[in-house]
Amino acid sequence: MKRAKVLAGFWVRLIGFVLALVMLLSYTIYVLTPKHDYGICPIMNFYTLPENSVDVLVIGTSCAYAGVNTNVLWEEHGLAVYNLCGAELPYWVAYSYLEEALKTQQPKVLIIDAKASIYTADYSKRGRTILATSGIRDLSVRLKAIAACVASEDFMGYALVFPQLHSYYTKVNAESFIYPPTNGGRGEDWMGYIEMDKTETHQKPSLVWTNIKKPINARQEEYFRKILELANEHGIPTMLVGFPNPDYANDHMYYNTLWGIAEEYGVSGINYNDPDLRLRLYYSSNFADWQHLNVEGSVIFSRRLGSDLRENYPDLPDRRGEEGWERWQSSADAWYVKYPDYLPEEE
Amino acid sequence: MSILSLEFLVLLAVLLVVHYCLPVRWRWCSLLAASMAFYAFAGWVGLAYLGGVTLVTWLAGLYMGRCRRREKEASAEGDKAEAWRRAQKRKCYLTLTVLLVIGGMAFIKYADLIYTCANALYVFLTQSRTPLTAMQLITPLGLSYFTFQSVGYVVDCARGKAEPEKNPLKYLLFVSFFPQITQGPITTYKQLMPQLKSPARFEPQEFVAGFQLMLWGYFKKMVLADRLACITTAVTSGTEMPGWLILLGAVTYAIRLYADFSGGMDVIRGASKMLGVDVVENFRRPFFSQSVAEYWRRWHITLGTWFRSYLFYPLTTSHFGLMLSRWGQRVLGKKAGRALPGVVATFVIFFLIGVWHVANWNAVIYGAYFGILLSGALLIDPLLKTLRKKHHEFDQKLGAKVRDLFRRKPEAVLAGENDAEQAGSTEVPQEQPVKETPRWVRGLCAVGKGVGKGITTALRLLRTWVLILLPQYFAFTSGPAQGWALLKGTFTNWDFSNVKNTLIVTIGMKTSGDGAWQKALTEYRILFIGLVILLAVDLLCEFKVDVNRKLARSFFLIRWVVLFALILSVLLFGAYGADFDAAAFLYTNF
Repeated sequence: MKRAKVLAGFWVRLIGFVLALVMLLSYTIYVLTPKHDYGICPIMNFYTLPENSVDVLVIGTSCAYAGVNTNVLWEEHGLAVYNLCGAELPYWVAYSYLEEALKTQQPKVLIIDAKASIYTADYSKRGRTILATSGIRDLSVRLKAIAACVASEDFMGYALVFPQLHSYYTKVNAESFIYPPTNGGRGEDWMGYIEMDKTETHQKPSLVWTNIKKPINARQEEYFRKILELANEHGIPTMLVGFPNPDYANDHMYYNTLWGIAEEYGVSGINYNDPDLRLRLYYSSNFADWQHLNVEGSVIFSRRLGSDLRENYPDLPDRRGEEGWERWQSSADAWYVKYPDYLPEEE
Repeated sequence: MSILSLEFLVLLAVLLVVHYCLPVRWRWCSLLAASMAFYAFAGWVGLAYLGGVTLVTWLAGLYMGRCRRREKEASAEGDKAEAWRRAQKRKCYLTLTVLLVIGGMAFIKYADLIYTCANALYVFLTQSRTPLTAMQLITPLGLSYFTFQSVGYVVDCARGKAEPEKNPLKYLLFVSFFPQITQGPITTYKQLMPQLKSPARFEPQEFVAGFQLMLWGYFKKMVLADRLACITTAVTSGTEMPGWLILLGAVTYAIRLYADFSGGMDVIRGASKMLGVDVVENFRRPFFSQSVAEYWRRWHITLGTWFRSYLFYPLTTSHFGLMLSRWGQRVLGKKAGRALPGVVATFVIFFLIGVWHVANWNAVIYGAYFGILLSGALLIDPLLKTLRKKHHEFDQKLGAKVRDLFRRKPEAVLAGENDAEQAGSTEVPQEQPVKETPRWVRGLCAVGKGVGKGITTALRLLRTWVLILLPQYFAFTSGPAQGWALLKGTFTNWDFSNVKNTLIVTIGMKTSGDGAWQKALTEYRILFIGLVILLAVDLLCEFKVDVNRKLARSFFLIRWVVLFALILSVLLFGAYGADFDAAAFLYTNF
C-alpha cells in the first residue's frame, strides 16, 4: 500500500516535471531564436491578423519586403497587403508559408517575388533556415520546411532545435525575452514592410533585354511549381513580380525561365525591371543598396504596384474605414508620422 | 553509438520502458538486447570479435570451474597427484586463455606499431623497395574494457572466487553490458553479474538519483571538458606561447581529462542506476589527493584494482617475487629487500598502464614516470616511516614542553616552594592539584595546530598537483620533443603583453575582431562558474556529503530547480551541434 502510494506520487511528479520542462524549453527556444523583422517576425505577426483580412499576400525575399510599402498601398489604394517575406527566402520555404497562410487567410491576389529563381544553392544557409522556419507555428509544416531547407543528414539538428540554436546564447539580450516580438520596434500593427532608410548611388544597369534563359535550380523550380499549383487549388490569382534592382543583368536570364514556367500555369506577372515601364525610379537616389529599394523608391514603386493591382484585379476591395482593418490604418498612421514627406497630396 | 548521442538516449528511454515492464527474472534479456543493439551500432566486425572473446572466456571459465571441482574432489579423496595434475592443467589453460585474449587485444591495439616494426624488419632483411601491405584493423568498441573484464572473470573462476556462469547469454551480458562497455568501469563478475541477473526493482529515488547522475555527467563532459579542450588544443597547436599559457594548458588538460572521463563515468553509472544496476565508482575526487599513490587510488580506480588483483599480487607472490625478495634482503637489507617485489611490480604496472593508453614514446614516458615515482616511494617508504615516527615523537615532546611552560602552578604550591627555599628546608611540600593550562594557550595551540594542519595539507596537495602535472605535458602533446619544449617553455617567457588576444584565441574564437573579446569573456565566465560548481560538489563529496542522494531525497521543487538548471546548462552551454567542435570521450578509444 505504501509502495503504491510512493509510486503514484512519483508518476504524478514525473508528469509535472515533464510538462514544466517542456514549457521551460519552449520558452528557452523562443528566447534563443533571433527575432528579426526580416525573419520570424513576419510570420509570427501574420498569425495575429484577423481571419480573412489580407487581400493581397506578398511572399518573397528582401526585395519584396523592402519594395512593397504596405502603408502606401493602404493609404493611397485602400489595399490590405501583407508582406510575408524573409531574407533570401527560397521557394521551398515560400511554399510552406503559403500553406500556413491559407489556413487563416483567403487572399484575393498572391504576389510571388521572382528573385528566388536566381538562388542556385540546393539548400538554405544555417542562419537563413533558422530565421525562415522557426516562426512557423504548425509543427508538421515547420518540419516540412526544415526538411526542404537542409540536407537530410542535418535535418535532426534543426528539428530538435537546440543543436542548431543553442550557441545563440551569446546573442541573447533583454529584448529576446519579450513576447510577442516587437517587430523591429514597429509594434504589432506592422504589415511586413521594412524600410531601408539609406541611399546608395548606382549607375543605370547595362541591361540587355534578351530572351536567353538560364536554368533555375531544380528544387527552386519544383517548389515554385508547387506554389502555383497550391494557389490554383485555392482559386487565388497569382502575380509574379520582378522587383526593380540595379544589379539586374544576371537575374534577367533566370526570370525568363521563371516566366516561362509561370505561363504554363496561366500565371501572369510584371517584371518591374523592364525599362519600358518607366517607373520613374532613379538609380542614383531610389536604392538603398545594389538590390533593394530605399524608402523613397518603395513609395514610388508601391504607388505603381497599387495602380497595377487595381487595373489587373478590379475586384480588389478598398478597405479603408472598414471594421476589421483598423490595424492597416494604424500601421500606415504610425509610418506616415515617421515619414510625413510621403503623405499623398490632397486632391 | 556514443553515450552522448541522441540514439543512446532513445535506446535508454525505450529500454527503461521495456525493462520495467518485464518481470524481474526476464529483465536481463532486455539488457542483453539493448547491449547487442548498442554494440551492433559500432559495427558487425566488433560485435563478432566481442562474441569470439565471450565464447573463449566463457568456455575457459567453465573449464576452470570443472578443474577446481575435480581438484577438490581429488584432494578430498586424498589423491594429491591427481589434484596437482588438475591444478597444473588449470594453470596451463588459464595462461593460454589469458595470453590469447590479452594477445588479441594487444595485436589490435598495437597493429600500427607491429606493422611498422615488421615492415622495417622486412625491408632490412629483403632489401625490398616495396613495403608490406598495411593492415587495416578495426578496433572494436571498448576493446580493453571487455578484454580486462573477461580475463578477470576467467582468473576469478580459476581462483575459485567466482562460480562459472553456465548460461552463455548471461555471460555475454556481463561482458557487453552496454552503458559501461565504451569506457568502463572494469567491474568484476562478483560485483556486476548478480545485479544483471536480477536487477533491483523500480525504486523512484534510485531512478531519480540515476537521472541526476547522468545529467551531472553530461554537464561535466559537455559544458566543462569540451570547453577546456579548446584551451588544450590552442596550447598544443600554437607556437611561441607565453609560459603562463602553457601552464594553463597543462592544468586545464588535467581538469579536462578528469571532467571528461569522470563525466562519462557519471553518465554510465547514472544510466545503470536507472536500470537498477549499481556500477562501481571509478573516480573519487583525485585532485584532493595528498600523495601520488593516493591519486592513483582515486583515479581510474577499477583499472588500478584490476592491475592490482590480476598482476600485482601474482607478481609479488609468485616464485619470481619470492626469489627477488630474498635476493633483495641479502643485497639491500631486510626492509628494502622485502619491499623489492612490490617495487618491481609497481613499476611494471604503471609502465603497462602508460603503454596501455597508446603505443608511443609519450605513453612510455608517462608510464615510466609514475612507475619510477611510485616504486621509488615504496623503496624509501621504510626510511620515511622512521623519519615520520621520529618527527611525531619530536612533535609530541615539543608540544608537551610548550604546555608545561605555560602551565600555571597553584599559588599555594608556589608559596610553599618559596617558604621552603627561605627556610632552607629540604622537605618536599605536599602534592597539590596542578591547574590546567590557560584557556588562551590551549586556544592558541588549537589554532596553531589547525593552521599547521591546513598548511601541511595545502603543501601536500600542491606537491601532488606538481607531480601529476609534469607527466601531463607528455600526455597531451604529439611527442616527447613537443612535451619537453612545452615543459621548458613553462618556465620562460612569462609575457603578459598580449593577454587579451591570446585568451580570445585560446578559448577557440577564430578571430580577434569586434565582439570577439565579449564572446570569449562569456565563454570564460561559463567555464569559471562551471568549475566553481564542480569544485563545490566535489568538496561536499570529499566531506562525505552524498550530494546526489541528498538531492534525490530533497523536496521536489528544490530538486526540479536544480534539474532544470542542469538541463538548461547542458542544452545551452554544452559543446555540441553547430558552432562547436564536439569532442568524443577521451577514453572511448581504449
